[in-house]
Amino acid sequence: MEKGILVMLRAFTLIACGLLVFVLSAAIVRGLPAIDAVFLTAESKNFGLEGGIFYQTLGTLILISGAAAVGLPIALGSALFQTEYLRRAPRLKKSFRVLMDALNSAPTIVFGLVGYLVFGAAFGVSWLTGAFTLAVMILPTMQSSMVEAFEALPETYREAGKSLGMGRGAIIRSILLPQCFYGAATGLFLGLARAAGETAAILFTATTFSGVTIPESASDPATTLQTHIFTLAQEGLDPRAAENAWGAALVLLTLVFVLLSAAMWIRSRLHWESAA
Amino acid sequence: MLKPTGLLGVVLAVVFLLPPGACLAAANNKILVEGSTTVIPIVSRAAERYRSIHPKVRILTKAGGSGVGAHAAGTKRADIGMTSRELTLHEIDRYKSAKLQTHILGKDAVAPVVSSEVYQTGVRALTKKQIGDIYLGKIVNWKEVGGPDRPIVVIDKERHRGTRHVFMKYILGDAEARAPGARLVTGSNNEEQTKIAQSDSAIGMLSFAWINDQVRGLGLRDGDRVIEPNLESVRDGSFPIARNLNLVTAGPPQGEVKGFIEYLLGPEGQKIVEESGFIPLGETHR
Amino acid sequence: MKTALLNSHSENLRSPMFWAVSTSALIALVAGLGLLGFLIIESVPVFSRQGLGFLSGTEWFGPDEFGAWPMIYGSLATAFLASLFALPIALGSAVYTAEFLSPKPRLAVKAAMEYLAGVPGIVYGLLGMTLLAQWVRNVFDLIDGNSLLTAGLLLAVMILPTVTTLSEDALRAVPRRYRETAWSLGMNRVATAFCVSLPMALPGICGAVFLGVGRALGETVAVMLVIGGLDRIPVPWFNLFAPGQSIPSKLGREAAEALGGGYHWHALMALGLVLFVLALSLSLAGRWFLTRQRSA
Repeated sequence: MEKGILVMLRAFTLIACGLLVFVLSAAIVRGLPAIDAVFLTAESKNFGLEGGIFYQTLGTLILISGAAAVGLPIALGSALFQTEYLRRAPRLKKSFRVLMDALNSAPTIVFGLVGYLVFGAAFGVSWLTGAFTLAVMILPTMQSSMVEAFEALPETYREAGKSLGMGRGAIIRSILLPQCFYGAATGLFLGLARAAGETAAILFTATTFSGVTIPESASDPATTLQTHIFTLAQEGLDPRAAENAWGAALVLLTLVFVLLSAAMWIRSRLHWESAA
Repeated sequence: MLKPTGLLGVVLAVVFLLPPGACLAAANNKILVEGSTTVIPIVSRAAERYRSIHPKVRILTKAGGSGVGAHAAGTKRADIGMTSRELTLHEIDRYKSAKLQTHILGKDAVAPVVSSEVYQTGVRALTKKQIGDIYLGKIVNWKEVGGPDRPIVVIDKERHRGTRHVFMKYILGDAEARAPGARLVTGSNNEEQTKIAQSDSAIGMLSFAWINDQVRGLGLRDGDRVIEPNLESVRDGSFPIARNLNLVTAGPPQGEVKGFIEYLLGPEGQKIVEESGFIPLGETHR
Repeated sequence: MKTALLNSHSENLRSPMFWAVSTSALIALVAGLGLLGFLIIESVPVFSRQGLGFLSGTEWFGPDEFGAWPMIYGSLATAFLASLFALPIALGSAVYTAEFLSPKPRLAVKAAMEYLAGVPGIVYGLLGMTLLAQWVRNVFDLIDGNSLLTAGLLLAVMILPTVTTLSEDALRAVPRRYRETAWSLGMNRVATAFCVSLPMALPGICGAVFLGVGRALGETVAVMLVIGGLDRIPVPWFNLFAPGQSIPSKLGREAAEALGGGYHWHALMALGLVLFVLALSLSLAGRWFLTRQRSA
């Protein structure tokens, strides 16, 4: 009986981990044949059936870097605000946390619609609108990870600063930020990974399908790996479309996994340091 | 490393100064074309060639369907909207202030299409009534119309789609008719084509240009006569579900947009219309 | 708010850091409240014209008739299916990982779950459209594989890592001394896991499931490609082999033709508001359970 249950539990764990292997191998088996130097460096032609995914990859990178550039300072600032300036106002602190949780739970398509309404009014359907929309979307991801880092810092650090006559600003600048650098960086990479995997939020705010090159102004639309796969997925009948869709999916998966690995690696250093 | 406060300042400046800057930079040589997935292959191919003649002009295309094309042109989100149907009364009324103009690009027809498995068992043509009953849910099995004993997977399209408008107008007499017999609702032509091919008992509606070995077009039976779904019967005017492919602009086209539309309507563009599997201008009702 | 902030440390007002930090907090605040605010404002025309009839209406047939019930049903049905399929596997692997694995393989499982959670929705969509839909059709002998069930299966895979990770955390949070007591009383490890750890971690596991379901509700592109896109409640209503429509899938399919204004747009935004409220309540409930677990 005991053995049987244990075997079952192990099987469940293997299934869960096996799903990752399955998704990865499906993408590799179907996507790898598409990938060569031309695929990575050429622009897509004839409706994505020919050519490559250069501008799609570029578009995804532009959108996530833009989102991080806008979102990172806001996440960092609001995390500091929550942990440092709301210390003596636990109620406000809790409300602020609930607000971030609420933002985190919002369905991504809703960010897309409201983002179109707000940022789209200023920049039209463009990479910048998409970057702002994604920035709001990944804000809670980055923020909560940073809050965790700041809260993990022992109180003695802050007290030491205070006893040296430092103000709160100086404590943040010279103690918190350097000490929590890895925590903040983890948050950043988690946010980037989340933004890179997102489709619905940029479908209406940032992208067109073909004809996109390097953006020349803030009002230029982008084309991304995510939306490219989305279009090609519906063309599954044509083997060239299917192959290119999987090729793009493999590139996207690689990008997301590199970002996630970076986040996990930095986080492991963090634990290693705090243990030492 | 930049001081955190400095970094914050830079970002805030960027956030608040960009909107005016972006508006200044917005006037450039970019043409956004959005809408019908039937028209988009023509425009995309034309855009690739047009760029080799006019390297400074950038033409961006986005699929969405005829309703999206009308909406994008009507709200001036796009420079050119693509529609594979006439504007509806509702659309004409709604975008009155945009003074929409329609430019006919070519001619096309929509056929009832089925999975190749159904076609091979001998279903080659259906009457208007039979197709209507299938979409109304009154006929639910292929054996009722001479096919195999399998339930029919009825594939409908999103309501604003041009293909659906012209198809339903002929079959049920109302461009926006309800189809209670539908099992799936698809969007683009590609999506519908894929779902029909993946099934072995599906019926749908597609432009002639999407008919192939896996997705077969059906003839329309009228008494003893069968009108075959080919461009010939569209050219001689006998195939009843025909339509114009249109470009829609808000007011008369200006500047680069005008240049591109003239290219599309000229000999080069019309050649692309033909290559894409549609009928160029001036070739019908000879 | 001002008084609570400033009375205690008056140095703040003059510090540039205070201004920088509170400005970004203000932006975050505006972003959060703005999102909800815009959804509410944009939905007003719909609720003032149709009232709650918008929620109970079963026909979505523009330009005048908009009823959200089939989409609400589809969202709830697929989310329910997702939790049903994901729960046994997630719980099983959480128990095994938390109770029986040594630190190194445990971290490996956790990392695998984090990667799995990072797989983009569109990749699942591609898998669903090319593999899962065919598979569902053949296995269950359906006439077509695009159905509520297919969407539910896909969502189950997508929420599995969330539920697993959070449940595992909840189990690990159960103090070790309870297990040791049970062992010293002669209970074996399996019995301890199920009779001691699991009941104690129950609030946290509930929280994990709520958060997972909240995530399932919001998924757009993957569901859109396999759910069937039919705005209709199946007959009979529990026939989950039938095609349907979820709220995000509806928004993804229809928003482009109405972007920016008109009654159709307001109806879509009202749909978005309903979705947000559903996801938000699930997520807040989930967080509440998780904090109960922590304080227990």
